[in-house]
Amino acid sequence: MKKTLLALAAVSLFALLPVVAGGASESSAPVSQGGTAATAPKYADQIVVGKLSEPLTLDPNGAGVGGSEVGVTQQVYEGLVTVGPDGNILPLLATDWTISPDGMTYTFNLRPGVKFSDGTPVTGDDWVWSLYRARDYEESSYRFIAEMIDTVEATDSQVVITLKKPAAPFLYDLANFNMVVGSKKHWEAVGDAEFGNQPLGTGPYMLESWNRGESLTLVANPFYWDAGYPKTKRIRYNLISDDNTRLMQLQSGQVDVINDVPYSLLPMIRNNKNLNLDVFESTQIRYLILNTTLEPFNDPAVRRAMYYALNKEELSTLAGGFGKPVVALVSPTEGKWCNLDLPVTTYNPEKSKQMLKDAGYTEPVKFTISVSAGSTFYEQAATLIKSEVDKAGFDCTIELMERASLSAKYRGLQHQCTLLMWIDDIQDPSEVTGWTVDYDQCKAWYTGLVDQPLEDLNATAFKELDETKRIQMYHEIQQRVYDNANVIPLYSNGFAWAENKKVSGVSVNMFGVYECKSWVKEL
Amino acid sequence: MERLNYCVRRVLQIIPVLFIISVVIFFLMRFIGGDPAVMVLGDKATSEAIAAFHQRAGLDDPLPIQYVRYMRDILHGNLGTSLSVRRPVAELIAIRFPVTVKLTILSAILSILISLPLGYLAGKYKDRPADQGIRALALVFIAMPSFWVGLLLMMLFGVKLGWLPAGGWDSTNFWTQCRSLLLPALTHSLSLIALLMRDLRNSVVDISRMDYVDFARSKGIPEGEVKSRHIFRNALISYVTLLSIRIAYMLGGSVITESVFALPGIGKLMIDSIFGRDYAVVQSLVLIFAAMVMVINLLTDILYSFLDPRVSYHE
Repeated sequence: MKKTLLALAAVSLFALLPVVAGGASESSAPVSQGGTAATAPKYADQIVVGKLSEPLTLDPNGAGVGGSEVGVTQQVYEGLVTVGPDGNILPLLATDWTISPDGMTYTFNLRPGVKFSDGTPVTGDDWVWSLYRARDYEESSYRFIAEMIDTVEATDSQVVITLKKPAAPFLYDLANFNMVVGSKKHWEAVGDAEFGNQPLGTGPYMLESWNRGESLTLVANPFYWDAGYPKTKRIRYNLISDDNTRLMQLQSGQVDVINDVPYSLLPMIRNNKNLNLDVFESTQIRYLILNTTLEPFNDPAVRRAMYYALNKEELSTLAGGFGKPVVALVSPTEGKWCNLDLPVTTYNPEKSKQMLKDAGYTEPVKFTISVSAGSTFYEQAATLIKSEVDKAGFDCTIELMERASLSAKYRGLQHQCTLLMWIDDIQDPSEVTGWTVDYDQCKAWYTGLVDQPLEDLNATAFKELDETKRIQMYHEIQQRVYDNANVIPLYSNGFAWAENKKVSGVSVNMFGVYECKSWVKEL
Repeated sequence: MERLNYCVRRVLQIIPVLFIISVVIFFLMRFIGGDPAVMVLGDKATSEAIAAFHQRAGLDDPLPIQYVRYMRDILHGNLGTSLSVRRPVAELIAIRFPVTVKLTILSAILSILISLPLGYLAGKYKDRPADQGIRALALVFIAMPSFWVGLLLMMLFGVKLGWLPAGGWDSTNFWTQCRSLLLPALTHSLSLIALLMRDLRNSVVDISRMDYVDFARSKGIPEGEVKSRHIFRNALISYVTLLSIRIAYMLGGSVITESVFALPGIGKLMIDSIFGRDYAVVQSLVLIFAAMVMVINLLTDILYSFLDPRVSYHE
């Protein structure tokens, strides 16, 4: 019997060997198969991206569009204009445009001969349908970007947009990911639900295949208007939900590019001679959100004491050397729009204690910070905050909650304090200020603060067409948010990407949006 | 005939159990809080967008009506539509379930191949160095966290040696699938190997002391036959029970193994759907898991009769 069993084990282990041996020869082959001719340029015909999460939809106005979705839709769809690397508005499917003196009518001349990736030409009807859909699609979370549009009229060569009210940031709004042209006929043919699975745009790429849970592959649009682009035939997104695994696949050559690299992994990338680390400037900021409808943060004095109870320098170390403490609500990356004159506060526990004492608090002020469980960042940040504020006259308790319950809690204003993050979608301060001061939009960013004069000022700033006056107004808004101390900016950080050294052309704008059409990978 | 009657009775018992489970999971998902619309639409969702989502998905209707609609769909063979990706639940499960099944099969094969000889040897040479070595090995297998083992295996075979992929699922053909599954299956099976080895060892030790084994030997039955027919075969009863329970458990997917190895399996779908409050997906998966566990239990009970003729199907 012993011999039988041993023989059985030996045979079975040998039976597995071919699998391992087969693996050795196959995995050493490069992922890409192109560029084999000796004289041809040695570029791969495929670049593989290690993507953390699977898109819910590829409809740029569909339910659930966010960062993960935009990474793909941006390669498939295009709008009238785009934002250049220095923040300027550049033509895209519009060649030029005029704005009426009252700022109410925008006329765009369209690039001739643009086709969808199925070869059908883009018509005026498509533009009208697309822009109205951006404004009216009920389940879109980005309708506010298009809400000022009154009418859209279009021919095959021109689009005329009339606004309900002047909107200073409108050109920037038009550069947003959801203000793009889609095929109306295609939408009618496939239906609304399927439109998110079968996108059809004018962008450099089109969807080739989508194996749910596994990968999503884009292939070059054969009708793309910009000759010479895209540079690489295929972009394949491999879906890998574990950050350590994504890094290992980058190291092993299974993927070529990974985005949103956790800062804890940056040293491993820096130490690898085959990898490039890129940290792009971003508008991403982490904020402390204080609920002004519940104790203790219903007292402005307690909220202001937090300025001295928080050690932003220490918190910014969570961004792996790429974090910078911030004071103003608007990101410094937004340049002129950021108010740099606000008083910089540094960690001063004694001053915080004194402020609380002056406000009549003799015992440590108790509060609970509710953060998302299962996220290393949020757990570390909450721990640091607790250790800081507990020395500064507070008594903080950390509550870890799963995402859906946490979200329900702060949306219902049942929290005392939480941590949230913001990334601008457009190069204009109106989005984040609207979010922070407008009660109707989201209860003043879930702080419950009603400040009508501030809301009025924000509405006026939105309509103001004189840029100098507008800048002054937004600086004033940031000053008043600072005084209200309901939303406390902590630090800004960059977008960390890592690539195989053979990959070039990768760049990411300050909103985290990237285009793959210039990416190449040397063989 | 007796066996057939037994099977029919057991299959009929599954129906009321599934009904109770469907009620429990339906209402439980709705009482734990959190709104699927907010999870899909994100923090920037306005109340109008959330209301539109609720209306389209029928989440505004009273719960009993939603339940009746859900049951009516189920009875018509429709598992519903995912709230998050707007795809039929059956399609999502059909994509992921084969991956989990293949992972489970490979894990079970690895577990049996390794635990069967080692467990038997440990029992046969009780308290001798071979036994002590195997028991120590079992302890190590149980003590190592699977995510850590998975990462180490990927580091060694994927990054350093380049023999196997460092995670990921390549569905191109049978061999690419085997290559994708080998390391996850090994990781997945370590704790099961340890459990099975220890169980088999203990059974062999216990059964070797039984009177009927001594009696068999005294009758002059050859030693090989005593070991194979009287010791090994009887020791397999508890081994098979344990294995079947664990296989049923493994078919529910493993969030850790699937996440670490980037496999599109059912465990990851389940946990993402719970966190995302994707009601239809969670409800369907729970019902399928429950049905699977009951069917595997039934198959195990039938298998007993082959291993042990004394097992009867009378009430």
